Amino acid sequence: MEAPGGVAVSIKRGRIAERLLGGGTEPDPRFTLANERTFLAWIRTSLAFLAGGVAVEAFTGDLFQEPVRKGLSVILLLLGMFISGGSAVRWINVERSLRHGLPLPLPLIAPILGIGGAVVAAVVVFLVLLS
Amino acid sequence: MASDGGQPPTRLHSDPGLQPERTSLAWGRTMLALATVSTIFLRWIEQHGLFVLTLWGISCLTAAAIFVTQRTRYTRHGEGISRGLMGPNFRSVLWTASAVLVLGMLGIYVVAITR
Repeated sequence: MEAPGGVAVSIKRGRIAERLLGGGTEPDPRFTLANERTFLAWIRTSLAFLAGGVAVEAFTGDLFQEPVRKGLSVILLLLGMFISGGSAVRWINVERSLRHGLPLPLPLIAPILGIGGAVVAAVVVFLVLLS
Repeated sequence: MASDGGQPPTRLHSDPGLQPERTSLAWGRTMLALATVSTIFLRWIEQHGLFVLTLWGISCLTAAAIFVTQRTRYTRHGEGISRGLMGPNFRSVLWTASAVLVLGMLGIYVVAITR
């Protein structure tokens, strides 16, 4: 990469970084930081799902039967785990794309977040109306 | 403003978009989210026993690790912006994602197995 001074410079990557990024040249650091912030936003979303899973199990004892409560809680926790894992995979894929000058990959976790969240919300509304 | 020695203070970076600050704040928000989730886990103690303290501990330790490394990360980002060259932050990202994954797995264990 060309540094601001016009001199070609490079940085030494670790073994894991080299294996996961597979060559390429370092991009503008601002893009790397933007990718890191996007990853953190996804992680906070996954933490919100974890908190939702705990809350459904802990606070809805008077509203839902035990199997329903536990089922909803497990689904929310699984969604949280999926978003967390997916955000790390997406972070690596974006870093790789930036280093190879490729188009950024589509976020697969976005539709799953939208559909999963909507389905869980619809089930909860249905069960509340039924109770 | 001049410092004590009469020399003007040097800035870590001159990015008008304040990227290192924004990223540092994003880590700070994540730390607070982890601290909040750790307190929500405590609601489970009554139902599921002291094993829940493991989840509380992992959340607190992850939040503490983010807090302790904030300055190092900010300096690294600022220097990276100044040099125009910076590697990806593998350690912080993968540790945080792994911690949240483990919290999810242990949460499912608590809900499905323990009473």
